Amino acid sequence: MDREELSEPLSFFWGIPALVWQVLFFYVPLSFLISTSFVKYSQDLESSRVTFEYYLDLFRPVYGYIIGRSILLALTTVVVCFCIAYPVAYFLVLRTQRWKTLSFSLLVLPFWTNFLLLVYSWYFLLENDGLLNTLLLKIGLISSPLHIMNTKIAVYCGMFYCYLPFMLLPLYSTFTRLNPKLIEASQDLGATYWQTFFRITFPLTIPGIQTGALLVFVPAFGEFVIPALLGGDKNMYIGSVISHYFLTVRKVGLGSAFTCLCALILVGGLLAGALVTKLYSGRGRYGEK
Amino acid sequence: MEKSNWILSDVLGAIWVAVTYLFLYIPIFVLVVFSFNNAKFPYRWVGFTFKWYEELFVSSEIWAATQNSFFVGILAVFFSLFFSLLFVIWVSRSKKRKLFALFYPNLIVPEVVVSVGLLSLFVFLHVPLGLMSLVVTHTLLGMGYAIPIIQARYDALDYRIVEASLDLGATFSQTIVKIIIPALKPALISAALLVFIISLDDFILAFFCAGTSAQTLSLYIFAMIRTGVSPVVNALATLMLVVSSLLVFVFCSLQSRTRMW
Repeated sequence: MDREELSEPLSFFWGIPALVWQVLFFYVPLSFLISTSFVKYSQDLESSRVTFEYYLDLFRPVYGYIIGRSILLALTTVVVCFCIAYPVAYFLVLRTQRWKTLSFSLLVLPFWTNFLLLVYSWYFLLENDGLLNTLLLKIGLISSPLHIMNTKIAVYCGMFYCYLPFMLLPLYSTFTRLNPKLIEASQDLGATYWQTFFRITFPLTIPGIQTGALLVFVPAFGEFVIPALLGGDKNMYIGSVISHYFLTVRKVGLGSAFTCLCALILVGGLLAGALVTKLYSGRGRYGEK
Repeated sequence: MEKSNWILSDVLGAIWVAVTYLFLYIPIFVLVVFSFNNAKFPYRWVGFTFKWYEELFVSSEIWAATQNSFFVGILAVFFSLFFSLLFVIWVSRSKKRKLFALFYPNLIVPEVVVSVGLLSLFVFLHVPLGLMSLVVTHTLLGMGYAIPIIQARYDALDYRIVEASLDLGATFSQTIVKIIIPALKPALISAALLVFIISLDDFILAFFCAGTSAQTLSLYIFAMIRTGVSPVVNALATLMLVVSSLLVFVFCSLQSRTRMW
């Protein structure tokens, strides 16, 4: 064994399983999905032809409403989860010394619990004879139970609850990587509380905010479990439409076109988001530990 | 003046943290409490009972679904960790680091999109849907998480130890088994736990790609919630919470040595 042999590349066979798997079950299906959105299949493959009609079918206001509603849902979820999670991560990491492992474990636990059970737990809070209504009736704020289940409010509650951990964890880990000496230095040099926050703490946690926003926005945009369980049948979101086309009515062509359109919108949105944060944080980043 | 600002913010912060923990845990607490409720219609407290747990333990459907979920989860962990480990070692040695980027989209493309893509391909090629198609998709999802975790640890590895082992006459495969894998152990365990939990938790991929015959725990819970709620689900939830608390405990004690995010 000599030095040359050490830097000698391993045989290509080592990488093959992962690469083949990835290409065969990720890139091929996605390409297939894109191609089915452009092809009108007939009984015999000979007379199948390329078509744009599925995409033309999508130019109807109802699809616009559905996509708009999903974007609104995902954006609201990102913003609300951020507003709840940011102060929590800030105080748990920077302002507390004790019980760190315990408080962190308690934050992680909901993330490791089956998603459906988290959604299900809201039945007990929001149903007509659930905890919330019982409490409000007892206090006397309302005289008859509020109908919250199967409305948009229930969907939003479920979304905030289920996606909070996805925002909390990346923020928590960015705060742990932040060097507290920078905050002390800023204090010593005479910055006020808010100056320190806006010029030191906040800019340094932007990467965590980006990760959190990404982890929440992407699945929230395609979410269909929470609307299906808490929202009743009235409110359609893109996830519900996709599953309707593929599993219920089996209009694969139209379903593929709709899926591709949504994916395109998602990619566009993510690129726009990346651009905005790049412009904002382009003013210089310093002092990561 | 400045000092009082900090104190005020600490007080408000403590309140905010407490409220958030309440928000996270009240629903879970209620869910657990109602698993002991002695009533079929589950939203009002009647009395204490263990009967839902008894019903849970005798239900063959739930145990079949649990077995299926564990089967898929364990195979997905095995394949995704094995493939990821080989891939990370190969890429790091052959300086083709750009290949890592091939796996980033697994985490960015929404699961609905991946699953309908796989579904239409499987149907088109007449691949039978079932537990094996779930193993395939969960392995794919798992690699998206396992590769970055293992790669981060591998990069932090002191390569001189590997060189020493080779210089002292160990073959490369001996070095992998005796040096590299033990050094990567915390990352491998974290990745295994994470992939397993993700597989167990997954609903969307299972909903689209499992076909009509295969039943996993998530699919079973979904069907139960949709068709008619029964406190048996609460009992199941309580048991699953106990299991995930144990896993979180293991994971967090590993976290103090390796960072995942």
